[in-house]
Amino acid sequence: MRTDEELMRLFRDGSREAFEELFARHHRAVVRFAWRMTGDPSAAEDAAQEIFLRIARAAPTYLPTAKFTTWMYTVARRATLNYLRDTKEDGETVPILAEGEGEDGIYPVQLPGPDDRNPEQVVWEAQLKERFRAALGELPEGHRAAFVLNRGDGLSYAEVAQVLGVTVEAVKTRIFRAREMLLSRLSKDLSA
Amino acid sequence: MDCRDIRESISACVDGEASPGEAASVREHLASCGRCRALERQMRAVGEGVRQLRGAVPDRFRQKVFARLESEGVLAKRKKLFPAAWRWTAVPLAAAAALGLFLLTSREAVRGPVPPGPATARVETSVPRAPSPQENGAALSIEDREMLALLDILEDPAAFDANDDAEGVDLLAPGDSADPPDPLRGGRGGA
Repeated sequence: MRTDEELMRLFRDGSREAFEELFARHHRAVVRFAWRMTGDPSAAEDAAQEIFLRIARAAPTYLPTAKFTTWMYTVARRATLNYLRDTKEDGETVPILAEGEGEDGIYPVQLPGPDDRNPEQVVWEAQLKERFRAALGELPEGHRAAFVLNRGDGLSYAEVAQVLGVTVEAVKTRIFRAREMLLSRLSKDLSA
Repeated sequence: MDCRDIRESISACVDGEASPGEAASVREHLASCGRCRALERQMRAVGEGVRQLRGAVPDRFRQKVFARLESEGVLAKRKKLFPAAWRWTAVPLAAAAALGLFLLTSREAVRGPVPPGPATARVETSVPRAPSPQENGAALSIEDREMLALLDILEDPAAFDANDDAEGVDLLAPGDSADPPDPLRGGRGGA
């Protein structure tokens, strides 16, 4: 089976079939990433189309200096970031925790964890899922992207660092902060 | 290490990204801190929450993407199996093929078995048929005539059986005799 890098080289040299194969392999991941970043199905579809357009346009100058998926997510993140900026979302606002809330790291509402159910088989109620999606959408874009790329798309901290153009330490901190903010937001929602 | 300082390391441990020293510190802390164990479960749960948000691939997404890429000129259009120029020849080619097939099957029909008739019943036999004296036009020897007579018998045993007497079958042309002519008798030999 040809690697992603080989397919990209073949597409660069004019093979339509190579691009079709790349699309077949990665379109679900691209749509998922766009959905998690934008939180809206229509916006996710537009962003995903834009991502493939950018990948195709970049083919003539593509050089396999990094893993294809790392490069693909770099393109994807820029596309969704542009979308979010175009819709005037403030991507860098850090929510301020209410005083005394969440400072000791324990949040009022217990969420199901691996001791309660197998994490891979956790079934979220629709209402909780919608609240989670909304809470994710309120994270600063850089924190959201780091968390989504690592937990949602399975990229390592090092790969996330490459995609975002930051250090591994910065990725570690962003993901930790993303978790704190999500837990704080969800506990406020559930206790309301 | 107190709870506040260990939380970021707990997060890295959940993701499998803690260094060996960091992981050891976390394990040691969690062994004695119930609150941080609860936090570790919550951190794992929100990670799972992101994975659960999958969305769905929109209808006709592939068609829309490829149509847009083709219209923007970044993707070559797929080559058609039967380009427009070929379509003009498709019908005559198909007609020629059909005609050829018809002719082939017609020739087979023409060559089919000839219905058997009385004059030709003896044609289909495995025994080679010698030309008749009338066909040959040449004088046949006595031996040849005997052979012809035998062939007739083989083709139509009823002709032989009907007479029930081999000596009664006139195998020889009139005037001929199997024996050399008797100079004293003259004429025909036999009974």
